[in-house]
Amino acid sequence: MNIVSGTFKALYAALRQLPRRRMTMRYPDVQTEMAGYYTYDPKLGIAKPGYKGRHILWLDKCTGCQLCSIACENISQAIEMVKVNRNQPNNKKSIFPQVDYAKCVFCGLCVDACPFYALGMTEDFNLVSTSKSNLVYSPEKLAIPPKITRKKVEFKIEKELAYHE
Amino acid sequence: MSLPTQSSGLFTEQVSEDKLVVSIGPQHPGAGHFRFTIRVEGDTITECIPDPGYVHRGGEKQTEYRTYIQSIPMIERSSLLDVTNITLPYCMAAEELMGIQVPPRAQYLRMIMSENQRIISHLYWLGIQGIFLGHSTMFMWPLGDRDIFIDLGQMIGGARITYSYCVPGGVRNDMPPNFKDRAMKVFEYFESRLKDYERIFFRSPLFEKRTRGVGVLSRSDAISLGVAGQVLRASGVKSDTRIDEPYCFYKDISFEVPVYDDGDTWARCMVHLEEMRQSMSIIRQCLEKMPQGQIKVKLSPQQRAQAGEAYCRTEAARGAMAFHIISDGSTKPYRTKWSVPSFRNLIALPKLLVGSHVADMPAIYWSLDYWPVEADR
Repeated sequence: MNIVSGTFKALYAALRQLPRRRMTMRYPDVQTEMAGYYTYDPKLGIAKPGYKGRHILWLDKCTGCQLCSIACENISQAIEMVKVNRNQPNNKKSIFPQVDYAKCVFCGLCVDACPFYALGMTEDFNLVSTSKSNLVYSPEKLAIPPKITRKKVEFKIEKELAYHE
Repeated sequence: MSLPTQSSGLFTEQVSEDKLVVSIGPQHPGAGHFRFTIRVEGDTITECIPDPGYVHRGGEKQTEYRTYIQSIPMIERSSLLDVTNITLPYCMAAEELMGIQVPPRAQYLRMIMSENQRIISHLYWLGIQGIFLGHSTMFMWPLGDRDIFIDLGQMIGGARITYSYCVPGGVRNDMPPNFKDRAMKVFEYFESRLKDYERIFFRSPLFEKRTRGVGVLSRSDAISLGVAGQVLRASGVKSDTRIDEPYCFYKDISFEVPVYDDGDTWARCMVHLEEMRQSMSIIRQCLEKMPQGQIKVKLSPQQRAQAGEAYCRTEAARGAMAFHIISDGSTKPYRTKWSVPSFRNLIALPKLLVGSHVADMPAIYWSLDYWPVEADR
């Protein structure tokens, strides 16, 4: 290739970007719309696609069978069964999973192990904390659905252009 | 005189002004967790000794203590850029031992995910290759566009990089209904983007000057060293597991295997570029041919495999990836052996570096697409 025409073409490709809108998302202020919860249907044996963020625990469905904890056993040992003061007829031992997010790898295999539709994963990925103890989510804390207050932006793709609104 | 090895302990060495021993890595920005020592005479490299093993975590041994499904998140982490392609041969070998037929739709979903992962891995490679050649734009653009493909993978896999999507028996979830439209939009965008890449980088005279005739690996050397993937294809050997030993439904899909005869860094870069195009075409065909139906054979979490051996080979982003599992009939494998392409390509590094200039060293090193974590396992 000719040096002059090659250099000119390279410069042209770069200059074409000048008027375009930028692709970068201003993350802490805004974020993209996430897919819904990742949940598992034990009857069909398959999961519903969604984002695998922090868990959500539907306390009234949990029977304390420990299958999630066993599934996690050799993966990250993040789930521990803890006692909670709740009078629940389907959970005689009254034990519920507690997740340590300092260890969790977000593989979601605990959700796939739950036969009672009690565990799912939410679109909440922002688990930043200054202390490790804050990353241990008790069953009551896991039962609260996440509230994402950040403004949502859409990521748009056109033929030669990709940008965040 | 050869360089002292690690086992020789302390040593003293006479050095002169024009002969130097330079240690590159493991803290070198770009070497990854990998160290190699080069001896230079003036500006020419006369000897190179790679020293892998800084990120050896005993992955093969760890699989012996986990059930088949529990190993998957751990296996993924040894090749973060290429997670579906490293879990796929493992799952296929485990399925062979368990005697399971995977439903066709699951196999198509696996193909879509592994081709998507190939693009993600190649774009990461391209970004680093760009900055190694001093081209900052080629660092920013691919890493930005990589995010779009990560978003595509996230729609199916539910996570950005480590999906744990393939499991023995099939895949974990079906794709969302809006995936096809989104993928077509992304491919249309990325095809125009690849033309931009060519204008600014691949067809640029500066890039050709830096890479043409640099680090030439001849066809006979490539075969005798046993290299894999792009390194082999850039040396004129048409070898691709997807065509040689088709797995999943690759035999129903038409695609080309880019082969260049030059064997230099330029050829290895062009193979990467062409493969991204082919991967997009494969995903397009998969989305059209995909049948409806089941995506998973339900297995018990404590699924037992029959006693015996299974060997499965697939084409990962960096070359042929193979898993050999020996089972004694229990819920855990007796032994697994991973044959990873990065480690096979490493042997070409001393061959390519000797005789080249120090300034060409980053370009040659990264053109092998060496991923230390995958090689050390």
